[in-house]
Amino acid sequence: MSKAKAQQPAVIHKVIMVGSGGVGKSALTLQFMYDEFVEDYEPTKADSYRKKVVLDGEEVQIDILDTAGQEDYAAIRDNYFRSGEGFLCVFSITEQESFQATAEFREQILRVKNVNSDKSDDSIPFLLVGNKADLEDKRQVPVEEAQQRSQQWKVPYVETSAKTRANVDKVFYDLMREIRSRKMEASKQNNGKIRKKEKSKRKCTIL
Amino acid sequence: MEGRVEHGLARVLSKQDFDPDHFVSKQTEGGEDQLLDMKQKIQILSDETAHALKHNVYKNYSQFIETAKEISILEGEMYQLSHILTEEKSLMSSMMEMSLVSDKAIVEQPKEQTQENPEEDTRKNLAFLLEKVEGCSSVTEVPGRHLIHNGDLAELDAESFTQIQKVHAFLLNDSLMIATWLPNRRGPVRYRFQGLYELDSLAIVNVRDAGPIKNAFKILMFPDAKMYQADGAKAKRHWLDILEETKKAKASRDKQKKEAAILLAEQQAHTPEEERKSFPIEDDSETMVAIETDCLNADWIQELPEDLDMCIAQRDFEGAVDLVEKVNEYLKDCPKVPVVKEFRSRIDNRIKQLTEGLMGELQVSPERSLRGGPRAARRAVTQLIRLGKSAQACDLFLKNRSAIIKYNIKSVKFEGATTLYIRRLCDVFFPCLSETGKEFTKAFQDHYGCMSAFVVWAKEELEMCVNTFNRHVFGGKSTLTVISECVQTARQHCDEQLCSIGFDVSFVFEDTITPELERVVQENRDQMIEGIKYRGNDDKWRKMNHLKEKECSRFLEEMMSVGLDLKPYVESDCFVALTMNTAQFAKICMTMTKDLLTLHTLELSPLITDTITEVFKAQLLHFEDSLKNPDFKTEHKFILKNAKYVLETLMKKVEEQFKTRSISFPKQLVSVSGKYKKLESLSKSSGS
Repeated sequence: MSKAKAQQPAVIHKVIMVGSGGVGKSALTLQFMYDEFVEDYEPTKADSYRKKVVLDGEEVQIDILDTAGQEDYAAIRDNYFRSGEGFLCVFSITEQESFQATAEFREQILRVKNVNSDKSDDSIPFLLVGNKADLEDKRQVPVEEAQQRSQQWKVPYVETSAKTRANVDKVFYDLMREIRSRKMEASKQNNGKIRKKEKSKRKCTIL
Repeated sequence: MEGRVEHGLARVLSKQDFDPDHFVSKQTEGGEDQLLDMKQKIQILSDETAHALKHNVYKNYSQFIETAKEISILEGEMYQLSHILTEEKSLMSSMMEMSLVSDKAIVEQPKEQTQENPEEDTRKNLAFLLEKVEGCSSVTEVPGRHLIHNGDLAELDAESFTQIQKVHAFLLNDSLMIATWLPNRRGPVRYRFQGLYELDSLAIVNVRDAGPIKNAFKILMFPDAKMYQADGAKAKRHWLDILEETKKAKASRDKQKKEAAILLAEQQAHTPEEERKSFPIEDDSETMVAIETDCLNADWIQELPEDLDMCIAQRDFEGAVDLVEKVNEYLKDCPKVPVVKEFRSRIDNRIKQLTEGLMGELQVSPERSLRGGPRAARRAVTQLIRLGKSAQACDLFLKNRSAIIKYNIKSVKFEGATTLYIRRLCDVFFPCLSETGKEFTKAFQDHYGCMSAFVVWAKEELEMCVNTFNRHVFGGKSTLTVISECVQTARQHCDEQLCSIGFDVSFVFEDTITPELERVVQENRDQMIEGIKYRGNDDKWRKMNHLKEKECSRFLEEMMSVGLDLKPYVESDCFVALTMNTAQFAKICMTMTKDLLTLHTLELSPLITDTITEVFKAQLLHFEDSLKNPDFKTEHKFILKNAKYVLETLMKKVEEQFKTRSISFPKQLVSVSGKYKKLESLSKSSGS
C-alpha cells in the first residue's frame, strides 16, 4: 500500500460529468478510461474513476465522477457537485431537451460552487460538450446555437463523439488544463509564487 | 593432595565470614617460602576459577540460545494461531454475507417480522447498537428508527487511497451511522460513535476504478467526502444496493408525509441540521461515564451482561433467571439517569434472548422428541414464569402438550376391532389430559388466570379426541353392542381420570356424542321392528325342532348366554315348545336391552324406554295378527303360550336388567306386559 502511494502523482484533478440522462456521459468516460465504446445503455447512479495521465509532460491523476442524469434529489446532486473541481456539461446534439437542460445544470453548479456567473475571473473550469457528433443526420442542436450559449457563458464549446472517439481526450485534457491553471492562480494568490509550469500551459497533446 | 589443599583454600576464601586482614597477617607469619607457596596456590586457584567461569558463561550462553529458540518457536505458533483465528473470522463473516446477499428469501423474512412486530424489533435493534457502540445513545432514542444493515468497512483517504482506520457502518432506516473501530478493546463495546448522516442528502459514489483499490465506494456528505472499502465485491454491491433501497424507501416515506402536511415537511427539513449539531459531540460518552452514579460501579453489575450471556450460552437458565431477578431488584432503587437506562436496555435485550431460549425449549419442532413427559417442560415453564412471562409459558406449555397428545394418538394403530382401538385411544388420551392437568396446577400454582386457559385447552383437546371417537364408533357399521362398549369405556375414563383432579368434562363428551347416539338408537329400533315384521310374515307357529338332543342343548346354551332359561320348554329332548321367531326375538331383545341400558343416561332415558316399548309392541302386534288370522285357528293355545313367554317371562328378565343397573322400570313396559290379558280375550272371541 505504501509503495503504491509513493508512486502515485500528488496532483489530482477532479472532473465531474453532468448532463441529462442518456446523453453519453458514461460513454465518454469509458472511452476516455478504457478506449472502448459501450453500446448498451444502463443508467448510471454515480460512478467514480481514477486514472494516471500525462498532462503536458507532467504526471497527474484524473478523478472522474460520472453522475446520474436521472438523479432526482437536488440535495444529493449538490453533494456531488461540491466534490468537483471542473465540469464537463454534456448534452446530445440529437436532443434539444438535453441542450436546454445544460442551463439548469450550469446554474446549479454555480450556485453550489458559490460563483457569481458575471465575474469572468472567478469562473469555474467548465466545458460545454455536444456529444454524439457522429449522428450528424439526427442533429437537433445547431452548432451556432451551442456556440452562442458557450460564448454567453464564456466557456469553450466542443463537439465530441464517444463512438468515434473524436475530441474525447481533448475535452478531458482541456478541462484538466483549466483546472490546473485555476489551481495555480489560487496558489499564486495565496503565496504570491509563480510556477514554471504555467508557461507550458497551452501545449496540445491530442493525437 | 594438592587439589585438596586448593579446595581447602577455596573453602577458606569463600567462607562467609572471611576476614582478609586476618588471613594475610596469618600467611605473612610463615616467611617467604610459605608466601611463595601461597602465591602459587592462589595462582592455580585463580586459573581454575577463570576456567570455571568461562565454562559457566558458555553453558549459560547455550541455555540462553536455547531459550531464545523456544521463544521464537512459541512466537511462530502464536502467529499461526492468530492467523487461523482471522481466517476463521473472515470465513464466518463471508458466510454471513453470503446468506444475506445470495439468499433473497432470508433477507425478506426479517422484513416481514418487522412488519408484524415493529416495536419489538426496533427495540432489539437499538439495544444491539447500544451494546456495541460507545456514545450512540442519542441515536437510539429516535422512535421508529431501526437497523437495516451493518458491516465492517475500512475508511480510506479519498485522495491517496491509504487506509485511515477501520470502521463499522450501521445503516438505519433514516440515516447512516459510522462508528470507529476501537482496537484492543475487550467486552461488548467495540466501536466509538463517529458520525450520523441523514440519508436525505447522502450522495453515494460507486468507485468503479481506483487503480489498486478494489471494492471501494464514496459517501459525499458536505463537507465530508469519505471513502470506504468493503471486504469483497459482494459486500460492496450489497452496501450500494441497500443504501439505494433505503434511500428510496425513506424518500417515499417522506413524500407521503409531505403530502399529508406541508408544515410537517418544513419541520423535517430542519431536523437534519439540528441533528447534525447535536450528534458530533463525541465526548458524550465520556461525560456520561464521568457522571455515572455509583450504583453501576459494582463489579458484578459491570460483568452482569457477560455473565448473562454465558448462562444463556450454557443453557443454565436457572442461573440466568437468578441474575435477572437480582439485577431487577438492584435497579429498582437506582435513579433513572441515562446510563442506568442504557444499562437497563442492555439487560432487557438479554432477557429477551433468554426468553427466546426458554421458549425454544418449549417449542414443538419436528426434530425434537416428544417422549418427555410434562415434567420435562416444567423447568422452562418455571423460569418463564419467574421472568413474568406466564401467559407465553402457559400457551407454549399447552401447545407442547397438544403436540404430545397428537403424537400419542397417532401412534395408536387402528387394527380392525373398534372396541380395542377405542380402549387404547382412551388409555392414551385421558391419562395424558389428567397428567397435563396435574402438572399444570403444579407449574402455574399461583397463576389462576392461566387456569382458564387450561380449561379452554382441555375442552378443545377433548373435542378433537371425541371427533376421532365419533369417526371410528359411529362412522362405520358398528353394532349397538360395540358402540355401547366404546361409549362405556370413554365414560369411565372421563369419570375416573379427570374427576380425580377435580376436572369434570364428561358433559362435553356427552354433548358431543348424544346426537350420534340418538341416531344410532333410532336406526336400530327401526331395523328391529322391520325384522319383527319380516319374521312375523314367515311365522308358521311350529315348535322348534332341533332333531338331535345335542343340537337342542347347544341352542339352550346359546339362550342361556343372554340370560334366558328355556329348559322348561323342552319337550322330548329335541323339541322346544316355543317358535323360532319367539326365541330369536327374546334373544335380540335381551341383547338390545343390555346395550341400551349400558348407554343409559338421564337424557337418553325416554328414548331408551320408547325403543324397548316399540319393539315389544311390534311383537305384540304380530301375536294379535296371528290370533286374528283364521289360518292359525287351531294354534291359538300355542300362540298364547308364546305370547305369555314374551310378555311375562321375557319382560321379567328385562325388568331384572333395569333393576341390576338400579334404573326404575318404566311404566310403559308394565302396561305392555299387561296386554297378555287382552290377547287371551282376543283368542276367546275369535276362537268361538
